[in-house]
Amino acid sequence: MNIIEKLRDIVGERASASPAERLCYSSDASQVRGTPDCVVRPLSTAEVSSVVELAAAEGVPVTARGAGTGLAGGAVPLRGGIVLDLSGMDRIVELDLSNLAVVVEPGVVQARLNERLRPRGFFFPPDPGSAAFCTIGGLIANNGSGMRSVKYGTTRNYVLDLEVVLADGSVVRTGSRTLKAAAGYDLTRLFIGSEGTLGIITQAVLRVAPLPKARRLVIAAFDSAEEAGRTVAATFAAGIVPSACEILDRTTVAVLRRCDPTLRLPDGDVLLFEVDGSEGAAAEAAAEIAALSSTTAASVAVVAGAEEMEEIWAARRLVGAAISRLDPAKSRIYVGEDVGVPIKEIPALIREVSEISDRFGIPAMKYGHIGDGNLHVALFIDVLDDGEWARLAGAADAIHRAAIRLGGTVSSEHGIGAARSEYMNEQLGSSALSVMRAIKGALDPRGIMNPGKLGLDDGPSPGGYG
Amino acid sequence: MIEMRREVEDSRSGTETKTETKETKVETAEISIDPRTIELCVRCGTCRSVCPAFEVLGWESKNTRGRVMVAKALGEGLAPDASVLDSLNTCTTCGICAAKCPAGANPPAIVQSARMGLVSQGVMTEAQAGFRTRIAESGNTFGEGGDRLGWLSDPDREGLKESSDLVYFVGCLDSYRYPEVAKKTFDLLKRFGATLLPEEVCCGSPLIRTGSDAGKFVDRNLRQIKMIGAKTVITGCAGCYSTLKKDYPPEFEVVSVPEFLAEHLAELDLRRLDLTVTYHDPCHLGRGSGIFDPPREVIKAICRLEEMRSNRQDARCCGGGGGVRAGYPDLSLEIAKLRLQDVPAGVDAIVSCCPLCIRNLSDASSEVEVIDLVDLVERAIVPP
Repeated sequence: MNIIEKLRDIVGERASASPAERLCYSSDASQVRGTPDCVVRPLSTAEVSSVVELAAAEGVPVTARGAGTGLAGGAVPLRGGIVLDLSGMDRIVELDLSNLAVVVEPGVVQARLNERLRPRGFFFPPDPGSAAFCTIGGLIANNGSGMRSVKYGTTRNYVLDLEVVLADGSVVRTGSRTLKAAAGYDLTRLFIGSEGTLGIITQAVLRVAPLPKARRLVIAAFDSAEEAGRTVAATFAAGIVPSACEILDRTTVAVLRRCDPTLRLPDGDVLLFEVDGSEGAAAEAAAEIAALSSTTAASVAVVAGAEEMEEIWAARRLVGAAISRLDPAKSRIYVGEDVGVPIKEIPALIREVSEISDRFGIPAMKYGHIGDGNLHVALFIDVLDDGEWARLAGAADAIHRAAIRLGGTVSSEHGIGAARSEYMNEQLGSSALSVMRAIKGALDPRGIMNPGKLGLDDGPSPGGYG
Repeated sequence: MIEMRREVEDSRSGTETKTETKETKVETAEISIDPRTIELCVRCGTCRSVCPAFEVLGWESKNTRGRVMVAKALGEGLAPDASVLDSLNTCTTCGICAAKCPAGANPPAIVQSARMGLVSQGVMTEAQAGFRTRIAESGNTFGEGGDRLGWLSDPDREGLKESSDLVYFVGCLDSYRYPEVAKKTFDLLKRFGATLLPEEVCCGSPLIRTGSDAGKFVDRNLRQIKMIGAKTVITGCAGCYSTLKKDYPPEFEVVSVPEFLAEHLAELDLRRLDLTVTYHDPCHLGRGSGIFDPPREVIKAICRLEEMRSNRQDARCCGGGGGVRAGYPDLSLEIAKLRLQDVPAGVDAIVSCCPLCIRNLSDASSEVEVIDLVDLVERAIVPP
């Protein structure tokens, strides 16, 4: 009996080895490619356990996947084997709001969870641009975050307990439902950001937060992105912590206007500061930021209308893919898109990115969560021009190395996957990477869990783009 | 132009639908999809949150992003087996993916081009082949042999004008499945001088949507429209409207029945009815053609309107279009059931302006009556 038949014994028709599925599960939103031998859509922990047990017995790689919105190839089966599409495990199992907790399966979409929580006055704060379609499992596996991490932190801060299927098919719980616990190694955090290399998350207990009563948005426009970066550093130095702090360089502003001509955004390189809290606290913080920004900004405005604020945030969430609206001959390619540096190095990073863009002749749109040092660089090329692909790879590499040189990271929230695995040693140092490899070896001795990722093994890496 | 040179394999995995490939051998052929339209898709996954077929089926190949990957791969040598055909043909062409795509891609156009490329090589599902055969043999989508104007009364038939500024294009569905709607519509329109095409045939929509050429049928209808001297063609079917508007030469104005009725509300002498209805936006009339307000104006002139949970630009598909009702009836009904979940509680009827939507929503066991806008208008007309 071949493996697809054995998988069908476990999940019935929710296993496929058809050419169309093998193709469609061979990539995420990155340029990394790897074709699975089969795709399985389990609906329960028991099914996941059985599939992994089978994979272990057969020595077949297993790669977990949520919505496949990743930007680093984390869900791409580099060495074939089985892709576990967990997006069908999408039940919100329990709302336990008196304990500030919810229990979810990994395939729950972030926005669906927040739709359930909103009427009850709560929310799950990690807020990526892909909130409308990304899954909680993917967020946990990549320690995803988003625009409000500057105040609320990343997914790591909201996971209390996980149910995980290990590489031999056994099932463990990693934490507890208490808001704090001091009981040995923090296994929950070990699995957060592990990108499916240690086990498959099949259930999560999440902490949720009360919705703030009021929000304000301060929009400040500057003559240069560097000037905007300096203003961010000055704001934090003054002791103000906004709930979101985003930069949109002038190219990004042009794209947003093209998508929605009614958006009221000023000319220039723009900072969006969101503050939240009580009505009084939000208004006071907005006034402080507006006053501070006005010393360096060309214009400052405060938005209080919930609808207008949401329109701006909705446009911002999707801007990453929208560059083609400005030039239909250009496409956004997600490489070098997630670097982060300490806040005071932001002006230097912006300057370096501009220089790299000029040097390689690849236009760059800069936007992102500048408040936590995370700059999303959107490099866009004519994908039908091979020369542009080569220069793109050079530009992405230079951006990654600049971030490391400035004391930062090649990924702030999108993950390492395969696209950035070559930088792990340079960023972490060989000692830290050795510790990670030792953990990997202990939990997955046969190396079947998402091989080829995080720079953990010596196998072939995709090596290039396109 | 991407050159494709493949053999078709029937490597069905056993997990897909009942569709079978019709032909078995493909020689060299071309799929004419501009690569730039494909490269606009950056695989961000936004479409996962809106594609109605994906919501039911859950496989990546049955989502917009997957279909664009499939279309691209066909140009690069992917063999068009059954799983490939299922991927492309489970798209209802509802267009909500295009409306939501941040990159501005137009996936339904890519899907239609890919279907056309395969059909031109003889690679198609039984349902696609069925449309071709039935329409070629009978001139209508059902293969009906009966009189297309069978619903027309003898006096009306005898009184049909041979020339007029206005023509009512009935469509296959109203001609053969909802003849009473055809009659009610013509009763309204003839007051304004409308006539009919003496030998109307299918507008071509099912052929175009499923990847076949409809030129012969376009020509036959066009010849009659010109013979009558019509400046305006009115239709009550969203699919016909979209096709007449976008796939016929721009030699006449195309007006939908709701637009016409809204423009002539004052002349219709309608009375108020003590009803609350909701309105289902047909994809090809609403999102596809921007006709959102006229049907609502007509409804509000008659009774109360309560909107569906998703409406206008965001309205979910009924599941009937793009050849899905014929090719994947189970999927089609599941999509319709999801759409019915958007119906507000307590309404007396679901009103729409497309017989395909009405038929699909009715077949999905709607607890609420699904009626054409013209049915509602007819109830509100004060008897002379």
